[in-house]
Amino acid sequence: MEEIKNKYSILGKRIPRVDAPLKVQGQAKYAADYEMAGMLWGKIKRAPYAHAIIKSIDTSKAEMLPGVKGIVTGKDFGGFKWGWQGYTRDETPLAVDRVKYMYEGVAAVAAIDKDIAEEACDLIDVEYEELPAVFDPFEAMKEGAPLLHPERKTNILVEYHWDFGNVDKAFDESYLVMEETFQTPKSAKGYLEPPSVLAWWEHDTLHYVGAKGSPYMIWRILGRAFDLPLSKVRVISPIIGCDFGGTKNDGHALDFSACLLAKKTGRPVKIVYSQWEELTTCLRRHSMAVRCKMGMTRDGYLTGLYTNCVADGGAYARMSVVSMYLANGFNTVPYKLENFRTDTWCVYTNNPIAAAMRGHGRYHTQYAMDGVMDMMAKKLGIDPLELRIKNSIPNPKPGETYYTVNQVRIGSCGVKECLEKSGELFGWDGYKKENKVDGPIARGAGVSASGFLSGARLTGHNSCSAVVRINEDGAVNVLTGATDVGMGSDTAMCMIAAEVLGLDMSDMEIKRVDTAYTYPDPGSYGSRVTIYAGEATMHAAEEAKQQILSAAAKEMDVAPDELDIKNRRIFMKSDETRFMPWLQAVRLACYQGNGNVIVGKGVSRRGVKPAVQAFEKGIGDTGTNYGFAAQINEVEVDLETGVARCTERSSMGDDCGFPLNPTIVETQGIGGSYHQGIACGLYEEFIMENGNTLNPNFVDYKRPRVYEAPFPKFHHAITQDPFGPYGVKECSEATTSTGAPAVISAIYDATGVMIKNMPATPEKIWRALKEKKAQENK
Amino acid sequence: MKDFNYSAPKTVKEAISLLGSLQGEVKVLCGGQSMLVLMKQGMLAPEHIVDIKGISELDYIRFSEEKGLTIGALATHGAVEKSPIVKEKYPVLAEMEDNLAVVQTRTWGTIGGNVCHGDPAADPPAVFIALSSKYKLMGKKERIVNAEDFYKDLLEVDLEHGELLVEVQVPPMPANSGVAQEKLMVQKGDMGIVGAAAFVTVNPSTGICEDARIVLTNVASIPFRAKGSEKVLIGKKIDEKLLEEAGQIASEEVDPPADTHGSEEYRRDMARVFLKRATAKALQRAQQKN
Repeated sequence: MEEIKNKYSILGKRIPRVDAPLKVQGQAKYAADYEMAGMLWGKIKRAPYAHAIIKSIDTSKAEMLPGVKGIVTGKDFGGFKWGWQGYTRDETPLAVDRVKYMYEGVAAVAAIDKDIAEEACDLIDVEYEELPAVFDPFEAMKEGAPLLHPERKTNILVEYHWDFGNVDKAFDESYLVMEETFQTPKSAKGYLEPPSVLAWWEHDTLHYVGAKGSPYMIWRILGRAFDLPLSKVRVISPIIGCDFGGTKNDGHALDFSACLLAKKTGRPVKIVYSQWEELTTCLRRHSMAVRCKMGMTRDGYLTGLYTNCVADGGAYARMSVVSMYLANGFNTVPYKLENFRTDTWCVYTNNPIAAAMRGHGRYHTQYAMDGVMDMMAKKLGIDPLELRIKNSIPNPKPGETYYTVNQVRIGSCGVKECLEKSGELFGWDGYKKENKVDGPIARGAGVSASGFLSGARLTGHNSCSAVVRINEDGAVNVLTGATDVGMGSDTAMCMIAAEVLGLDMSDMEIKRVDTAYTYPDPGSYGSRVTIYAGEATMHAAEEAKQQILSAAAKEMDVAPDELDIKNRRIFMKSDETRFMPWLQAVRLACYQGNGNVIVGKGVSRRGVKPAVQAFEKGIGDTGTNYGFAAQINEVEVDLETGVARCTERSSMGDDCGFPLNPTIVETQGIGGSYHQGIACGLYEEFIMENGNTLNPNFVDYKRPRVYEAPFPKFHHAITQDPFGPYGVKECSEATTSTGAPAVISAIYDATGVMIKNMPATPEKIWRALKEKKAQENK
Repeated sequence: MKDFNYSAPKTVKEAISLLGSLQGEVKVLCGGQSMLVLMKQGMLAPEHIVDIKGISELDYIRFSEEKGLTIGALATHGAVEKSPIVKEKYPVLAEMEDNLAVVQTRTWGTIGGNVCHGDPAADPPAVFIALSSKYKLMGKKERIVNAEDFYKDLLEVDLEHGELLVEVQVPPMPANSGVAQEKLMVQKGDMGIVGAAAFVTVNPSTGICEDARIVLTNVASIPFRAKGSEKVLIGKKIDEKLLEEAGQIASEEVDPPADTHGSEEYRRDMARVFLKRATAKALQRAQQKN
């Protein structure tokens, strides 16, 4: 692998992130940092019912409050409905005649300060008629359940039934078949930056500065909402403080309300959600019940898999159609599997809306599959790591591809290496023989491996473009429609442009999306940015480079292809002593060209053709390529209290094809997805009561910090994928999926109890241990 | 947050006279780490806030062999945590602070504010009660109350209108005594789902427990003194069996709440576990001193 590492002068190196100095010095400007002269503060009035008819709204008292400048209600949006696709348009910016989840927005106020806006919300009188509500998806599926969207006649939001191979026959012929049900919790995205927006109207154009990881989504939606040509919607991206899918992908009450209040008052309007609003009303990860049936041979080879999934979609559809595809679309990786069937439903309930989150869909089925796999391994007396290694999809030879039974195309697969190296780093051999009980503390280890798509091409437009501008002084602007939501893609884009142009990182500058100037791009989701924007940036830099080389070649009286650039020199490949300094070549090219600037344009078209049969039949290659990961974790469990915690002993292997920047890949794996992964296993869960979130704060809603989750050891499996630029694939969605199963399986190893409704909170483990003891004493 | 009148006296005298003269609901603000949360949630909306953070005369930690430790109301958790004299003479307080919330909270939050908040889940009141501490209150006149008697109900303490808590007084540790605190945390720094502070003295020649003061947190509306358990321990040589008996008694005597962190049933059992753990540790320390 050394030759790959030495192939490039910038790529593959541990280059500091371009945004780090701004962020650590507090200079990075986020959406909530923007203010304007004459600006008003907005606030959303929320309904205290999970399901109710709005009989009337009286805003007269609120309007009289000094300092209030404007009030809007759901009706003021003129019947506008929106959704992820045409057929899922089921949501209005504010509820019009019916609220469908607790604290749904019903009106919005703009006032001269936050406190007055809040007070005015209290003065709005809304008369409700409470309706029967349904909070459990299984109840909601039943005949006669209260309907969320009566026009649909059912609460079933989407269902898929896929069948590959012959699962029944596989089970019949299996040595061992096991079936268990696992339940995932509702969980928060947990970004630190609150949803924020500043909107104003200028020259008949709607201006919007907001915390969105996919700014072009809200651009289109706002165009439709306000009946504007897209040339008159200007979405400007500040620095984004994380996303993880959901509220920061598309819209929420604050986005539409700020724009309409700004229109009504003629002044800029800013709305920033409180942590309480974020955690009670914003989009959260689905909860899903996964019944998983698995067959194996005597030697532990997988023969067949059946999953039955029921997810709680909450009150509106959002991206659930995609989530449910992703829940099962890659069950045929990372292990060889010829027979697979699923029945999957997502159901409307009167809970807050569910949506995409890192490890999208995959993480639910991963948990169930790993759980069953470990229980089967124990029955068969096979080491769980060995069982996974022997079932792994092998890494295809160069030029070859592996197709899963549902036609997922794998060009590279390092899962076996990830598993083996995780085992080595952990010290798996010999671990069994260690004494792992000390007083009330029992230790145990668990393993999980996963695969996830990169460069999602599920539906619609997924191409991506970039511009590389070289200014007359040699400084370079990189512009893409993509958005760095914290994962480091801005750094990756600058590195790619610098590599192609033979320049330093100090020559690079990247600005964020402004829809008036940048190319449209679907946004940051589906692990698509580095794959697509990276390829676009590479092509754009190459095009710019060609213009420089042409100008230099003319002057040097050689052919452009005889030249190359390195260390700010344009040199002859056959004789490096013949060269022209970078600045001289830039000036020549600029002044000969049109407009004193070199503009290179590039596009990635890999995402243009969606896999059309993906949703309905589960068939198809919905990613551009696929990342793989494995993780081994040790936990210690206090057998008296049920407290489980990660120890310092853990390891991760990640196959992202080629780590463009190993430090960033590691921080995504170790610092990012590791914590998010184990968090679902041990800590994170919204506690709900009749649609109300009982722990909407980060004291009662637990997330691990470094005390609870020391960093794992890390291995890069370099597989050089044939379909990604420079061989790259996703990193961190596969590693997000492995965290929870690894800790749950570690608890199983330590105590013999399998927690089937994570997170494994102390009381759940305490109860399970008590039950086990009672069983043993029988 | 609702509007309020704000004043910031610079001396105790000034504060007392101000507190005595204000009408309507008055709240004293010091670190504000607990109170501001309630105000932001709209659960507390005082008309007047008297901010005593500027009364520097109350910011001290002192020790003398005769009087023991005196902690001014303004001393922060961080100051207690790092104090060399606390570490030497009352290491249990430094240990307690290490697991109290997060460093930001400890840097701004104060001992006075914490003990006056009256949260039955808080650690300092329990440890102070186990250590037989007293609180000094200043109003029209000075009052000294036992820490144990200060807690009346959930978030309700024995502070009269116009009164200010100015000092926590921790007596010297008796010979042959040990003290320890343990709590059930899901994460480091959590309010204990259940917690225990235990103080024991042991006769060095007979090994018999001569005194025990055990306080449990988050199992009742006030810090819970486990008197039934103490009774079982005092006058006997403490062993595993006796500890289990004491723990069982505690699990029956407590009246714990149920919330998102644990059911009543779970908390009862944890009262047993943590009473045992804290007492065993205190006992070990008492014996080590011999």
